[in-house]
Amino acid sequence: MTWLSTSITGFGFVLLAHACYSAHEHSALHSTSTASLSSLTSHGPSVSAVAALPIDISIETIVAILTICLGLVLGTPELRPIQWRVWAGQIEREGEKGFMNGDGEVDKDYVGNPFKVLESRPGFVDIRKQRKEFAEWVREGGSVEG
Amino acid sequence: MASSLLHPPAHLSPAVALQLSQQAPYLLRTTPSAISPYSMSSLWSAAESPELWTTYENLMLSCLRTGDEQSAHLCLERLTERFGADNERLMALRGLFQEAIANDNDALKKVLKEYENILVEDPANMPVSKRRIALLISMDRTTEAITALNNFLDASPTDAEAWSELSDLYVSSGMFPQAIFALEEVLLVTPNAWNIHARLGEVLYMASSSETGSVQHLAESMRRFCRSIELCDDYLRGYYGLKMTTTKLLTTLSQSQVSRQSKSDTGLPLPGVKSVERLSELATAKLSEIVRRNTGGDAGWQGYEKPEIIAAQELLNRDAAPITR
Repeated sequence: MTWLSTSITGFGFVLLAHACYSAHEHSALHSTSTASLSSLTSHGPSVSAVAALPIDISIETIVAILTICLGLVLGTPELRPIQWRVWAGQIEREGEKGFMNGDGEVDKDYVGNPFKVLESRPGFVDIRKQRKEFAEWVREGGSVEG
Repeated sequence: MASSLLHPPAHLSPAVALQLSQQAPYLLRTTPSAISPYSMSSLWSAAESPELWTTYENLMLSCLRTGDEQSAHLCLERLTERFGADNERLMALRGLFQEAIANDNDALKKVLKEYENILVEDPANMPVSKRRIALLISMDRTTEAITALNNFLDASPTDAEAWSELSDLYVSSGMFPQAIFALEEVLLVTPNAWNIHARLGEVLYMASSSETGSVQHLAESMRRFCRSIELCDDYLRGYYGLKMTTTKLLTTLSQSQVSRQSKSDTGLPLPGVKSVERLSELATAKLSEIVRRNTGGDAGWQGYEKPEIIAAQELLNRDAAPITR
Protein backbone atom coordinates (compact mmCIF):
# COMPACT_ATOMS: atom_id res chain seq x y z
CA MET A 1 0.00 0.00 0.00
CA THR A 2 2.86 2.36 0.69
CA TRP A 3 4.33 2.20 -2.82
CA LEU A 4 0.90 3.04 -4.25
CA SER A 5 0.49 6.14 -2.07
CA THR A 6 4.07 7.27 -2.70
CA SER A 7 3.73 6.91 -6.44
CA ILE A 8 0.41 8.77 -6.47
CA THR A 9 1.89 11.58 -4.37
CA GLY A 10 4.96 11.70 -6.60
CA PHE A 11 2.81 11.87 -9.71
CA GLY A 12 0.82 14.72 -8.15
CA PHE A 13 4.00 16.65 -7.41
CA VAL A 14 5.20 16.19 -11.00
CA LEU A 15 1.86 17.55 -12.25
CA LEU A 16 2.08 20.48 -9.85
CA ALA A 17 5.63 21.30 -10.89
CA HIS A 18 4.60 21.12 -14.51
CA ALA A 19 1.66 23.44 -13.90
CA CYS A 20 3.89 25.96 -12.09
CA TYR A 21 6.46 25.87 -14.85
CA SER A 22 3.75 26.35 -17.50
CA ALA A 23 2.32 29.32 -15.61
CA HIS A 24 5.76 30.89 -15.27
CA GLU A 25 6.54 30.39 -18.94
CA HIS A 26 3.18 31.74 -19.96
CA SER A 27 3.54 34.93 -17.93
CA ALA A 28 7.13 35.46 -19.15
CA LEU A 29 6.15 35.03 -22.77
CA HIS A 30 3.09 37.15 -22.35
CA SER A 31 4.90 40.06 -20.68
CA THR A 32 7.75 40.17 -23.22
CA SER A 33 5.35 40.05 -26.13
CA THR A 34 3.12 42.80 -24.69
CA ALA A 35 6.19 44.88 -23.78
CA SER A 36 7.64 44.68 -27.25
CA LEU A 37 4.22 45.38 -28.74
CA SER A 38 3.57 48.38 -26.52
CA SER A 39 7.05 49.82 -27.14
CA LEU A 40 6.33 49.61 -30.83
CA THR A 41 2.95 51.30 -30.69
CA SER A 42 2.87 53.79 -27.85
CA HIS A 43 4.67 54.86 -24.64
CA GLY A 44 1.54 54.96 -22.44
CA PRO A 45 1.00 52.70 -19.45
CA SER A 46 0.74 49.06 -20.51
CA VAL A 47 -2.76 47.67 -20.28
CA SER A 48 -3.28 44.31 -18.53
CA ALA A 49 0.36 43.28 -18.13
CA VAL A 50 -0.60 39.79 -17.03
CA ALA A 51 -3.56 38.37 -18.84
CA ALA A 52 -5.63 35.53 -17.38
CA LEU A 53 -3.94 32.11 -17.35
CA PRO A 54 -5.15 29.62 -19.92
CA ILE A 55 -7.80 27.28 -18.55
CA ASP A 56 -5.71 24.10 -19.00
CA ILE A 57 -3.03 25.32 -16.59
CA SER A 58 -5.63 26.05 -13.90
CA ILE A 59 -7.21 22.64 -14.36
CA GLU A 60 -3.81 20.95 -14.18
CA THR A 61 -3.02 22.73 -10.88
CA ILE A 62 -6.31 21.67 -9.29
CA VAL A 63 -5.94 18.08 -10.49
CA ALA A 64 -2.36 17.99 -9.17
CA ILE A 65 -3.42 19.19 -5.71
CA LEU A 66 -6.25 16.67 -5.54
CA THR A 67 -3.86 13.88 -6.57
CA ILE A 68 -1.35 14.87 -3.88
CA CYS A 69 -4.12 14.92 -1.28
CA LEU A 70 -5.29 11.47 -2.36
CA GLY A 71 -1.75 10.11 -2.16
CA LEU A 72 -1.16 11.53 1.32
CA VAL A 73 -4.48 10.26 2.64
CA LEU A 74 -3.77 6.77 1.28
CA GLY A 75 -0.37 6.82 2.96
CA THR A 76 -1.55 7.56 6.51
CA PRO A 77 -0.72 4.92 9.12
CA GLU A 78 -3.47 2.84 10.65
CA LEU A 79 -5.70 4.81 12.98
CA ARG A 80 -5.35 4.22 16.68
CA PRO A 81 -8.41 3.31 18.75
CA ILE A 82 -9.96 6.31 20.45
CA GLN A 83 -12.04 4.40 22.94
CA TRP A 84 -10.20 3.78 26.18
CA ARG A 85 -11.28 0.18 26.66
CA VAL A 86 -10.48 -0.78 23.06
CA TRP A 87 -7.04 0.80 23.31
CA ALA A 88 -6.33 -0.80 26.69
CA GLY A 89 -7.60 -4.13 25.41
CA GLN A 90 -5.27 -3.93 22.45
CA ILE A 91 -2.32 -3.39 24.76
CA GLU A 92 -3.26 -6.38 26.91
CA ARG A 93 -4.23 -8.68 24.06
CA GLU A 94 -1.53 -7.98 21.50
CA GLY A 95 1.34 -6.65 23.56
CA GLU A 96 4.22 -5.12 21.62
CA LYS A 97 3.21 -6.83 18.40
CA GLY A 98 0.07 -4.75 18.07
CA PHE A 99 2.07 -1.56 17.84
CA MET A 100 4.60 -2.44 15.17
CA ASN A 101 5.04 -0.11 12.25
CA GLY A 102 5.70 -1.21 8.71
CA ASP A 103 9.37 -2.03 9.31
CA GLY A 104 8.67 -4.56 12.05
CA GLU A 105 9.87 -2.23 14.77
CA VAL A 106 7.82 -1.29 17.79
CA ASP A 107 6.58 2.28 17.70
CA LYS A 108 8.76 4.70 19.60
CA ASP A 109 5.96 6.08 21.72
CA TYR A 110 4.69 2.65 22.73
CA VAL A 111 4.85 2.30 26.50
CA GLY A 112 2.66 -0.74 27.08
CA ASN A 113 0.34 -0.30 30.00
CA PRO A 114 1.21 3.20 31.23
CA PHE A 115 -0.04 2.31 34.70
CA LYS A 116 2.31 -0.61 35.09
CA VAL A 117 4.77 1.71 36.84
CA LEU A 118 2.30 1.84 39.72
CA GLU A 119 2.99 -1.84 40.28
CA SER A 120 6.65 -2.07 39.32
CA ARG A 121 7.44 1.27 41.05
CA PRO A 122 10.90 2.23 39.78
CA GLY A 123 11.28 4.85 42.51
CA PHE A 124 11.18 2.19 45.21
CA VAL A 125 13.11 -0.52 43.42
CA ASP A 126 14.71 -3.03 45.82
CA ILE A 127 17.95 -3.63 43.97
CA ARG A 128 19.38 -6.08 46.50
CA LYS A 129 16.37 -8.36 46.24
CA GLN A 130 16.55 -8.19 42.45
CA ARG A 131 20.22 -9.14 42.52
CA LYS A 132 19.52 -12.06 44.82
CA GLU A 133 16.72 -13.29 42.60
CA PHE A 134 18.87 -12.94 39.54
CA ALA A 135 21.72 -14.88 41.12
CA GLU A 136 19.26 -17.64 42.04
CA TRP A 137 17.93 -17.70 38.52
CA VAL A 138 21.46 -18.09 37.16
CA ARG A 139 22.18 -20.87 39.65
CA GLU A 140 19.12 -22.73 38.44
CA GLY A 141 20.62 -22.70 34.98
CA GLY A 142 18.79 -19.81 33.36
CA SER A 143 20.16 -18.33 30.18
CA VAL A 144 19.07 -15.89 27.51
CA GLU A 145 17.26 -18.61 25.62
CA GLY A 146 15.57 -20.06 28.71
CA MET B 1 14.65 -4.82 21.81
CA ALA B 2 16.06 -1.33 22.10
CA SER B 3 12.63 -0.06 22.98
CA SER B 4 12.61 -1.91 26.27
CA LEU B 5 15.61 0.15 27.37
CA LEU B 6 13.33 3.16 27.35
CA HIS B 7 11.15 1.75 30.11
CA PRO B 8 12.01 1.03 33.74
CA PRO B 9 13.33 -2.54 33.76
CA ALA B 10 11.94 -3.65 37.13
CA HIS B 11 9.27 -5.96 35.75
CA LEU B 12 11.41 -7.62 33.08
CA SER B 13 12.22 -11.29 33.31
CA PRO B 14 15.78 -12.27 34.26
CA ALA B 15 16.44 -13.48 30.72
CA VAL B 16 15.60 -10.10 29.22
CA ALA B 17 17.61 -8.29 31.89
CA LEU B 18 20.62 -10.48 31.13
CA GLN B 19 20.24 -9.83 27.43
CA LEU B 20 20.06 -6.08 28.02
CA SER B 21 23.12 -6.02 30.24
CA GLN B 22 25.06 -8.13 27.77
CA GLN B 23 24.48 -5.40 25.24
CA ALA B 24 25.94 -2.87 27.67
CA PRO B 25 29.61 -2.84 26.53
CA TYR B 26 28.52 -2.44 22.93
CA LEU B 27 26.00 0.28 23.76
CA LEU B 28 28.48 2.12 25.93
CA ARG B 29 31.00 2.11 23.10
CA THR B 30 28.59 3.31 20.43
CA THR B 31 26.44 5.85 22.25
CA PRO B 32 27.94 9.28 22.81
CA SER B 33 29.22 9.84 26.31
CA ALA B 34 28.58 13.54 26.46
CA ILE B 35 26.99 16.09 24.22
CA SER B 36 28.29 19.60 24.57
CA PRO B 37 25.59 22.10 23.71
CA TYR B 38 27.75 24.66 21.94
CA SER B 39 30.46 23.28 19.77
CA MET B 40 31.26 22.81 16.13
CA SER B 41 30.60 19.09 16.32
CA SER B 42 26.97 19.67 17.26
CA LEU B 43 26.46 20.83 13.69
CA TRP B 44 26.87 17.37 12.23
CA SER B 45 26.39 14.94 15.10
CA ALA B 46 22.93 13.84 16.16
CA ALA B 47 20.97 16.09 18.46
CA GLU B 48 20.75 15.23 22.12
CA SER B 49 17.58 13.30 22.88
CA PRO B 50 15.98 12.56 26.23
CA GLU B 51 15.91 8.90 25.20
CA LEU B 52 19.70 8.77 25.44
CA TRP B 53 19.71 9.53 29.15
CA THR B 54 16.73 7.29 29.85
CA THR B 55 18.66 4.53 28.13
CA TYR B 56 21.67 5.15 30.37
CA GLU B 57 19.54 5.06 33.50
CA ASN B 58 17.74 1.86 32.57
CA LEU B 59 20.92 0.23 31.34
CA MET B 60 22.48 0.99 34.69
CA LEU B 61 19.59 -0.66 36.52
CA SER B 62 19.78 -3.76 34.34
CA CYS B 63 23.55 -3.99 34.79
CA LEU B 64 23.27 -3.66 38.55
CA ARG B 65 20.70 -6.42 38.57
CA THR B 66 22.91 -8.80 36.65
CA GLY B 67 26.01 -7.86 38.62
CA ASP B 68 27.88 -6.01 35.87
CA GLU B 69 29.05 -3.24 38.17
CA GLN B 70 31.69 -1.89 35.79
CA SER B 71 29.19 -0.96 33.10
CA ALA B 72 26.80 0.35 35.70
CA HIS B 73 29.48 2.61 37.09
CA LEU B 74 30.31 3.88 33.63
CA CYS B 75 26.64 4.74 33.05
CA LEU B 76 26.53 6.54 36.37
CA GLU B 77 29.68 8.49 35.55
CA ARG B 78 28.34 9.64 32.22
CA LEU B 79 25.05 10.68 33.78
CA THR B 80 26.93 12.61 36.45
CA GLU B 81 29.04 14.30 33.79
CA ARG B 82 25.89 15.48 32.07
CA PHE B 83 23.64 16.46 34.96
CA GLY B 84 26.04 17.22 37.79
CA ALA B 85 26.47 15.47 41.10
CA ASP B 86 23.87 17.57 42.91
CA ASN B 87 21.00 16.51 40.67
CA GLU B 88 18.31 14.99 42.90
CA ARG B 89 17.65 12.02 40.69
CA LEU B 90 21.36 11.30 40.37
CA MET B 91 21.81 11.41 44.13
CA ALA B 92 19.20 8.66 44.33
CA LEU B 93 20.87 6.69 41.55
CA ARG B 94 24.25 6.96 43.24
CA GLY B 95 22.69 5.71 46.45
CA LEU B 96 21.15 2.84 44.53
CA PHE B 97 24.56 1.91 43.18
CA GLN B 98 26.06 1.91 46.65
CA GLU B 99 23.19 -0.20 47.95
CA ALA B 100 23.80 -2.72 45.22
CA ILE B 101 27.51 -3.09 45.89
CA ALA B 102 27.13 -3.09 49.69
CA ASN B 103 27.92 -6.56 50.94
CA ASP B 104 27.11 -6.38 54.64
CA ASN B 105 24.71 -4.68 56.99
CA ASP B 106 27.21 -2.03 58.09
CA ALA B 107 27.65 -0.79 54.55
CA LEU B 108 23.89 -0.57 54.19
CA LYS B 109 23.66 1.41 57.41
CA LYS B 110 26.26 3.78 56.03
CA VAL B 111 24.18 4.32 52.90
CA LEU B 112 21.12 4.92 55.05
CA LYS B 113 23.05 7.46 57.11
CA GLU B 114 24.10 9.19 53.91
CA TYR B 115 20.48 9.41 52.76
CA GLU B 116 19.53 10.92 56.08
CA ASN B 117 22.29 13.50 55.81
CA ILE B 118 21.05 14.50 52.36
CA LEU B 119 17.51 14.76 53.67
CA VAL B 120 18.56 16.96 56.59
CA GLU B 121 20.04 19.41 54.11
CA ASP B 122 17.14 19.23 51.71
CA PRO B 123 13.98 17.61 53.09
CA ALA B 124 12.17 18.13 49.77
CA ASN B 125 14.46 15.74 47.89
CA MET B 126 11.80 13.30 46.69
CA PRO B 127 13.93 10.67 44.90
CA VAL B 128 16.26 10.31 47.87
CA SER B 129 13.45 10.04 50.40
CA LYS B 130 11.93 7.31 48.23
CA ARG B 131 15.28 5.51 48.17
CA ARG B 132 15.51 5.78 51.94
CA ILE B 133 12.10 4.15 52.31
CA ALA B 134 13.02 1.45 49.79
CA LEU B 135 16.22 0.73 51.72
CA LEU B 136 14.26 0.47 54.97
CA ILE B 137 11.95 -2.08 53.33
CA SER B 138 14.92 -3.94 51.96
CA MET B 139 16.43 -4.13 55.48
CA ASP B 140 13.13 -5.62 56.77
CA ARG B 141 12.32 -2.59 58.91
CA THR B 142 8.72 -2.51 57.72
CA THR B 143 7.13 -0.50 60.53
CA GLU B 144 9.73 2.25 60.17
CA ALA B 145 9.17 2.23 56.43
CA ILE B 146 5.41 2.59 56.90
CA THR B 147 5.90 5.57 59.20
CA ALA B 148 8.35 7.17 56.79
CA LEU B 149 5.99 6.59 53.87
CA ASN B 150 3.11 8.14 55.77
CA ASN B 151 5.23 11.22 56.46
CA PHE B 152 6.23 11.31 52.82
CA LEU B 153 2.60 11.15 51.73
CA ASP B 154 1.63 13.91 54.15
CA ALA B 155 4.04 16.11 52.23
CA SER B 156 3.07 14.87 48.79
CA PRO B 157 -0.40 13.33 48.80
CA THR B 158 -0.71 13.03 45.02
CA ASP B 159 2.17 10.62 44.56
CA ALA B 160 0.36 7.54 43.24
CA GLU B 161 3.52 5.46 43.25
CA ALA B 162 4.04 6.02 46.96
CA TRP B 163 0.41 5.24 47.80
CA SER B 164 0.72 2.03 45.84
CA GLU B 165 3.91 1.09 47.68
CA LEU B 166 2.22 1.84 50.98
CA SER B 167 -0.69 -0.42 50.14
CA ASP B 168 1.72 -3.25 49.35
CA LEU B 169 3.44 -2.75 52.69
CA TYR B 170 0.08 -2.87 54.49
CA VAL B 171 -0.89 -6.03 52.62
CA SER B 172 2.37 -7.69 53.59
CA SER B 173 1.65 -6.91 57.25
CA GLY B 174 -1.95 -8.05 56.94
CA MET B 175 -3.58 -4.65 57.50
CA PHE B 176 -6.20 -4.89 54.79
CA PRO B 177 -8.44 -1.87 55.59
CA GLN B 178 -5.42 0.43 55.40
CA ALA B 179 -4.21 -1.22 52.20
CA ILE B 180 -7.63 -0.74 50.61
CA PHE B 181 -7.63 2.91 51.63
CA ALA B 182 -4.20 3.44 50.07
CA LEU B 183 -5.27 1.82 46.81
CA GLU B 184 -8.38 3.98 46.73
CA GLU B 185 -6.08 6.97 46.99
CA VAL B 186 -4.14 5.69 43.99
CA LEU B 187 -7.41 5.49 42.09
CA LEU B 188 -8.22 9.09 42.99
CA VAL B 189 -5.04 10.14 41.17
CA THR B 190 -5.32 7.71 38.26
CA PRO B 191 -8.99 6.75 37.97
CA ASN B 192 -8.52 4.94 34.65
CA ALA B 193 -5.75 2.57 35.74
CA TRP B 194 -7.31 -0.78 34.98
CA ASN B 195 -4.57 -2.77 36.66
CA ILE B 196 -5.01 -0.82 39.91
CA HIS B 197 -8.74 -1.55 39.86
CA ALA B 198 -7.87 -5.23 39.49
CA ARG B 199 -5.29 -4.94 42.26
CA LEU B 200 -7.86 -3.36 44.57
CA GLY B 201 -10.19 -6.23 43.70
CA GLU B 202 -7.49 -8.70 44.66
CA VAL B 203 -6.79 -6.97 47.97
CA LEU B 204 -10.52 -6.87 48.74
CA TYR B 205 -10.71 -10.57 47.94
CA MET B 206 -7.82 -11.25 50.32
CA ALA B 207 -9.53 -9.09 52.94
CA SER B 208 -12.75 -11.07 52.57
CA SER B 209 -10.93 -14.31 53.33
CA SER B 210 -9.18 -12.88 56.39
CA GLU B 211 -10.87 -13.27 59.78
CA THR B 212 -12.35 -9.75 59.80
CA GLY B 213 -13.60 -10.09 56.26
CA SER B 214 -17.23 -9.98 55.28
CA VAL B 215 -19.39 -10.69 52.29
CA GLN B 216 -19.45 -6.93 51.67
CA HIS B 217 -15.76 -7.09 50.82
CA LEU B 218 -16.44 -9.84 48.35
CA ALA B 219 -19.20 -7.90 46.62
CA GLU B 220 -16.99 -4.80 46.45
CA SER B 221 -14.18 -6.91 45.05
CA MET B 222 -16.48 -8.19 42.32
CA ARG B 223 -17.47 -4.63 41.45
CA ARG B 224 -13.81 -3.61 41.20
CA PHE B 225 -13.05 -6.44 38.82
CA CYS B 226 -16.08 -5.46 36.75
CA ARG B 227 -14.74 -1.91 36.55
CA SER B 228 -11.32 -3.11 35.41
CA ILE B 229 -12.97 -5.12 32.63
CA GLU B 230 -15.05 -2.09 31.71
CA LEU B 231 -11.83 -0.11 31.29
CA CYS B 232 -9.99 -2.78 29.31
CA ASP B 233 -11.42 -5.27 26.84
CA ASP B 234 -10.34 -8.90 27.23
CA TYR B 235 -8.42 -8.20 30.45
CA LEU B 236 -7.31 -11.63 31.59
CA ARG B 237 -6.53 -10.58 35.16
CA GLY B 238 -9.92 -8.90 35.50
CA TYR B 239 -11.86 -11.90 34.20
CA TYR B 240 -9.82 -14.25 36.37
CA GLY B 241 -10.68 -12.20 39.43
CA LEU B 242 -14.30 -11.94 38.39
CA LYS B 243 -14.51 -15.71 38.08
CA MET B 244 -12.92 -16.22 41.52
CA THR B 245 -15.14 -13.69 43.28
CA THR B 246 -18.40 -14.75 41.65
CA THR B 247 -17.75 -18.42 42.45
CA LYS B 248 -17.10 -17.59 46.08
CA LEU B 249 -19.95 -15.11 46.23
CA LEU B 250 -22.43 -17.66 44.90
CA THR B 251 -21.61 -20.16 47.65
CA THR B 252 -21.73 -17.43 50.33
CA LEU B 253 -25.01 -15.99 49.12
CA SER B 254 -26.71 -19.36 48.99
CA GLN B 255 -25.54 -20.12 52.55
CA SER B 256 -26.65 -16.90 54.21
CA GLN B 257 -29.84 -15.47 52.81
CA VAL B 258 -30.78 -13.92 56.15
CA SER B 259 -27.75 -11.72 56.69
CA ARG B 260 -28.34 -10.08 53.35
CA GLN B 261 -30.95 -7.65 54.62
CA SER B 262 -29.20 -6.78 57.87
CA LYS B 263 -25.88 -5.89 56.28
CA SER B 264 -27.14 -4.06 53.25
CA ASP B 265 -27.79 -0.80 55.08
CA THR B 266 -24.08 -0.20 55.77
CA GLY B 267 -23.13 0.27 52.14
CA LEU B 268 -24.22 -0.70 48.69
CA PRO B 269 -26.75 -3.53 48.66
CA LEU B 270 -25.41 -6.96 47.83
CA PRO B 271 -25.88 -8.05 44.24
CA GLY B 272 -28.65 -10.47 43.43
CA VAL B 273 -27.89 -14.14 42.86
CA LYS B 274 -29.14 -13.89 39.29
CA SER B 275 -26.72 -11.19 38.23
CA VAL B 276 -23.80 -12.86 39.97
CA GLU B 277 -24.59 -16.06 38.10
CA ARG B 278 -24.66 -14.26 34.80
CA LEU B 279 -21.37 -12.52 35.55
CA SER B 280 -19.83 -15.86 36.42
CA GLU B 281 -20.99 -17.32 33.12
CA LEU B 282 -19.58 -14.34 31.26
CA ALA B 283 -16.23 -14.69 32.98
CA THR B 284 -16.06 -18.39 32.15
CA ALA B 285 -16.92 -17.77 28.52
CA LYS B 286 -14.38 -14.97 28.18
CA LEU B 287 -11.61 -16.85 29.97
CA SER B 288 -12.05 -19.90 27.78
CA GLU B 289 -12.08 -17.71 24.67
CA ILE B 290 -8.83 -16.02 25.71
CA VAL B 291 -7.13 -19.32 26.55
CA ARG B 292 -8.36 -20.95 23.34
CA ARG B 293 -7.26 -18.12 21.11
CA ASN B 294 -3.90 -17.67 22.82
CA THR B 295 -2.95 -21.34 22.76
CA GLY B 296 -4.33 -21.68 19.24
CA GLY B 297 -1.72 -19.19 18.09
CA ASP B 298 -4.26 -16.61 16.95
CA ALA B 299 -2.51 -13.49 15.72
CA GLY B 300 -3.37 -10.52 17.92
CA TRP B 301 -3.90 -12.60 21.06
CA GLN B 302 -0.28 -13.29 21.90
CA GLY B 303 0.32 -10.40 24.32
CA TYR B 304 -0.68 -12.34 27.43
CA GLU B 305 1.94 -13.70 29.75
CA LYS B 306 2.42 -17.45 29.69
CA PRO B 307 1.97 -18.06 33.45
CA GLU B 308 -1.28 -16.10 33.42
CA ILE B 309 -2.67 -18.25 30.63
CA ILE B 310 -1.67 -21.43 32.47
CA ALA B 311 -3.33 -20.17 35.65
CA ALA B 312 -6.52 -19.34 33.75
CA GLN B 313 -6.51 -22.81 32.19
CA GLU B 314 -6.09 -24.30 35.65
CA LEU B 315 -9.05 -22.31 36.98
CA LEU B 316 -11.25 -23.40 34.10
CA ASN B 317 -10.26 -27.05 34.59
CA ARG B 318 -11.04 -26.83 38.29
CA ASP B 319 -14.44 -25.43 37.43
CA ALA B 320 -15.16 -28.04 34.78
CA ALA B 321 -14.07 -31.07 36.82
CA PRO B 322 -17.26 -31.51 38.93
CA ILE B 323 -19.42 -31.38 35.82
CA THR B 324 -17.60 -34.13 33.98
CA ARG B 325 -17.50 -36.39 36.99
